[in-house]
Amino acid sequence: MFDLMYNTLFFASYGNIYGLSNISISSFDVLLAYIVTILVSIIFALILKIPLLPSKPYRYSFDVSAIYPTPIIAIGIFSIFLVLNYTFMYNGIVLAIVIGILSALFVKYLFDFVFPKPLDGDEGEDI
Amino acid sequence: MNEVIGIIIAAILCWLNFVIVDTYFGLPEQPGVKGARIIGENVEKRGGDIAGGLFQGNIVCSPDASAGTLIAAIGYLILGIPGGIIAAFFVFIGNRLCADPGYAGTVGSLTATLIIFICSFVGFTPEMFIVGMVIAILTIQGLDHKRASILLGKIAEKFNRHA
Repeated sequence: MFDLMYNTLFFASYGNIYGLSNISISSFDVLLAYIVTILVSIIFALILKIPLLPSKPYRYSFDVSAIYPTPIIAIGIFSIFLVLNYTFMYNGIVLAIVIGILSALFVKYLFDFVFPKPLDGDEGEDI
Repeated sequence: MNEVIGIIIAAILCWLNFVIVDTYFGLPEQPGVKGARIIGENVEKRGGDIAGGLFQGNIVCSPDASAGTLIAAIGYLILGIPGGIIAAFFVFIGNRLCADPGYAGTVGSLTATLIIFICSFVGFTPEMFIVGMVIAILTIQGLDHKRASILLGKIAEKFNRHA
């Protein structure tokens, strides 16, 4: 019997690194574009004078830095472009550079406006 | 691979992934928000461990590596590796909305994506990881708070992250 749901999920998931998305560039190009995105975002963040590491203690710091939120935002947005199958020219390298620069600009100028820091450890919502 | 065996192994892998990442990034050490501290003190009052209680409270109050592993498995099922990375991005946004720096959540989803990718070569499917993660969270939050918190406290001591 033809089971649409089972067949779709089986087709989507069986050892398939792209799932349901229809990516037209090769996996080597995808890997290269990811590395370019990460490097460009970190380098451009350093050019914009965002510190490399968050302030101490590292594990509880809300400060933005070049290695923590910037590459995560860059590769997240780049992945969304990738699964929508929009890679622009030169196998996605140009798009990777543009997204790296834009995410560094976002972290520098807009991040604190979009995600404000919590006021204090004890001033959360009261019950 | 047999589905039942796959789910059991996936549950063990998910459990190790999220407990190690969460403990390393200091969930048992201090509560991120007020609700986490209340849950932790309540678990301690019933005979549990304060570090394990804070761990459980922090899991409830913001998306940490547990939610990251689950969302990464779902993203991998739908969109492949880019889906897992999109999941990390979304978990980061969710973390910042919940007054949490978000290190545990993003690192947890990226490591989960890596684990699912490596395991896909030996016949594991992302569905097994989704079911396995639900079982793994059930063992921490659903069965017995007291014993789970004592176990988590012992793991926290090994990592030098006890409250």
